[in-house]
Amino acid sequence: MATESLELEEEGKIIGGNQHLIVDDDLREMGKKAAWSVSSCKTGNGVSSLRDDNLENYWQSDGAQPHLVNIQFQKKVKLQLVVLYMDFKLDESYTPSKISIRAGDGFHNLKEIKTVELVKPTGWIYLSLSGNDPRETFVNTFMLQIAVLSNHLNGRDTHVRQIKVYGPRPNPIPHQPFQFTSREFITYSTVR
Amino acid sequence: MEAILTDCVQNSLRHFMFKNAIFLCERLCAEFPSEVNLQLLAACYLQNNQAYSAYHILKGTQTAQSRYLFAISCFQMDLLNEAETALCPANEAGGEIPNGAAGHYLLGLIYRYTDRKKSAIHHFRLALSINPLLWAAYEELCVLGAAKEATVVFSEAAALCIQNQYLHHGLPSPNLHMSSEDYNLVSSRNFGSEDVSPRKLKHTQGNNLRGIPGNHHGAVVLSGAASQPQNGGPSNMSFYNTPSPMASQLSGVAPPPLCRNMQPNGSNLNTVNTDGSPRSIVNSTIQAPRRKFVDEGKLRKISGRLFSDSGPRRSTRLTGDTGANTNANTAAVAGNGTNNSSKYLGSSKLSSVAPRTVTVRKGQSWVNENIEEGIRNEAFDDSCANVASTTSSSFSSDNVRSLDHDGATVLVGGVVVSGAKAVSGASEVLCLLRTLGEGYRLSCLYRCQDALDAYLRLPHRHYNTSWVLSQVGKAHFELVDYLEADLAFSLARQVSPYSLEGMDIYSTVLYHLKEDMKLSYLTQELISTDRLAPQSWCAMGNCYSLQKDHETALKIFHRAVRLNSRFAYAHTLSGHEYVALEDFENGIKSYQNALRIDSRHYNAWYGLGMIFFRQERFEFSEHHFGMALQINPCSSVIMSYLGTTLHALKKSEDAIKIMDRAILADRKNPLPMYQKANILMSLEKFDDALEVLEELKEYAPRESSVYALMGKIYKRRNMHEKAMLHFGIALDLKPSATDVATIKAAIEKLHVPDELEDNLSTE
Repeated sequence: MATESLELEEEGKIIGGNQHLIVDDDLREMGKKAAWSVSSCKTGNGVSSLRDDNLENYWQSDGAQPHLVNIQFQKKVKLQLVVLYMDFKLDESYTPSKISIRAGDGFHNLKEIKTVELVKPTGWIYLSLSGNDPRETFVNTFMLQIAVLSNHLNGRDTHVRQIKVYGPRPNPIPHQPFQFTSREFITYSTVR
Repeated sequence: MEAILTDCVQNSLRHFMFKNAIFLCERLCAEFPSEVNLQLLAACYLQNNQAYSAYHILKGTQTAQSRYLFAISCFQMDLLNEAETALCPANEAGGEIPNGAAGHYLLGLIYRYTDRKKSAIHHFRLALSINPLLWAAYEELCVLGAAKEATVVFSEAAALCIQNQYLHHGLPSPNLHMSSEDYNLVSSRNFGSEDVSPRKLKHTQGNNLRGIPGNHHGAVVLSGAASQPQNGGPSNMSFYNTPSPMASQLSGVAPPPLCRNMQPNGSNLNTVNTDGSPRSIVNSTIQAPRRKFVDEGKLRKISGRLFSDSGPRRSTRLTGDTGANTNANTAAVAGNGTNNSSKYLGSSKLSSVAPRTVTVRKGQSWVNENIEEGIRNEAFDDSCANVASTTSSSFSSDNVRSLDHDGATVLVGGVVVSGAKAVSGASEVLCLLRTLGEGYRLSCLYRCQDALDAYLRLPHRHYNTSWVLSQVGKAHFELVDYLEADLAFSLARQVSPYSLEGMDIYSTVLYHLKEDMKLSYLTQELISTDRLAPQSWCAMGNCYSLQKDHETALKIFHRAVRLNSRFAYAHTLSGHEYVALEDFENGIKSYQNALRIDSRHYNAWYGLGMIFFRQERFEFSEHHFGMALQINPCSSVIMSYLGTTLHALKKSEDAIKIMDRAILADRKNPLPMYQKANILMSLEKFDDALEVLEELKEYAPRESSVYALMGKIYKRRNMHEKAMLHFGIALDLKPSATDVATIKAAIEKLHVPDELEDNLSTE
């Protein structure tokens, strides 16, 4: 889960952003296994800018709202955290202000799982997908859709600079009910 | 003119001035084209790491020595087919393999790398029988799992065999006899030793000593200078070949033995064999011998220059030259520590060889027989200077001809030693090799405790050398005793900080101990020592992998593989990284690559078993774990995985049996007990399972999964309070996020007893 953010979360509002991307060790980035697509883009600012680890370039949409980023996996995966990088100072009216995250099996049955309002975000924004119940720490899904519903200052198109998606690390020992925590167990658990 | 040129070339080689040597040698070949000179040129090229040049000039030559050199060039260029045909021409079924033991050794390596294990074993055995001090061959046999016990191989019979080789070359050609001359051999005893009286050695026809650099890393090979035949005989060239490059992961460097020979009258032959560039890349062979006769004056000068510590080091010199035709069998003697001068008669100084580093180093120099005849005298001085010397020295069965009238003296290393001394010297070496060989063989069979006991029998001065300490470290590693392994390896590093042998295993030990500081420090040191060694990159890859950056780690392991594609462990580690990235196809390929190189690499078998286990292909998984267990029957980790697989195949009784074996095999390993409890639980033998888990609690009181499992069992038995208690403890011990979710969910369900399986099912 995200740590020390400068944001204030009240009723789904996030103000500001984090300068650094710091994620727990037991989470790993899952985006590489997914197929990414967007609802529209301007030439030269396409979906690859969302995944290239470069904060200088961005995805720019080119169509009607809501602007969508679709993340599709080949099998159901557990997801816990979505992190976005946006910069109000650079993008001003292109900066998203309202974001909805939906999950489901495919385009036909996406259901919204989180909505959040952003206020002048500059930096990394952490959006946790967990519910309050410990049983709902993860979202187990085939597809995730990030929808930009509106922008700051009523801009039409949007800029997003980077998106990362995190899920739990799998158990290094397959077919085990629980993961090992103590040093003795871990030492003896594999041959390298 | 020819003689002068040859002498210059050899002198240059001795002093590592390769450019000069090559230039002069080309002039020599242009002026006096002959095969002998061509061989000398090839030698120069090989010394200078230009195997391709040597390849081209020797292509098509037929003499045995040329064929051997050609084979070495091909081997270095990775043209194994050609190397094989050169050594052992297809149409000459019974043809003789050039250079005896060395030729067989090279051929064995070729067969090994082309997957013809039986032939490889056959040739290594032959090599050992011809030259019992050829440690590298014994090592290869151990790796292939086909080594006989060290006591058998390095036995007393071998000592006699060596002595015979020495005496044997007392050829009966009387005319060459030096009876008239003294055999005073210049003792290369001390370099600086004054007692060197110029001895004349009569060479039988032409002693040419050409050094052949065996070491592709630039071992210095002494090239024999063309000597003026005393009798005006044709110059013969004796080449000594040395070592085939061992592609194994030895990065040992063999110290260059320096040979000094006695000086023949009138010929200045310098034999200086130095081998050993301590390059980290594989090479362990030391080149041996070359015989040369050196001028006494030169000898002193050279010795003074080359050996700062003169007295003690001395490799045995074999001076076999007594003027008779000595056949060349030169045993390579390298061994700093090992030869404790035993071979020198009366050279007390020699005996003081204090091995500095050493001991068993894989490289060895040996001298190959010169089939061509010629006199070979080789004197090797082991330069122990910092180089790990190969411990085994094989005596060159050089002609130590004790052509003494009484027949009992043997020339060794330029010193006249009596036959008896030679034998005793040989026995001492063999004794040492026996212990080391036994230790190595046992550790290759993964009987690690026995191997450790064997190594402990070594005298301290040998034990505290980097090779032995690395082996000890490896043995502890296999016993899953990482702290001891860490100690042993760090001692090894203190003793020889430049040595890369075994450092890949050390990095894995640190990985297991999760010592990221030490691991990064080790990596930095290794990379700065040698950027081209696969071990350094393996260490770096382990470093990244410890930080869970598997993609970078994978790239780095690939680099290690590219640097040396015969380094099996790099392939295995790449496989592990692929699995961590869940790319099973490539993982399988990597493990299979590793197995192609070394089919006794049990880690790769284990890796394959794990992949199939994940993919639920349990029969395959069982087979692979079984193979891994066959190779390493003491590993409790593999046993416990095999047990889990058997259980998945519903052979639960066998599974429990193996688990019990695993528990007995290593009491410190808590996993088999845990797995056993798991199995018992799924067999619904709840009480037994609980019993096992209670016991396990003693061993590992802070392991959350133990309590979680107990909670689960109590829940199944409907003992809700106990279940609650255990789940609570499990949560306190901070399990991973997934498990937290699972356990909490289970707690909720406690209040809603549910016979149907819930989300506590294994994932």
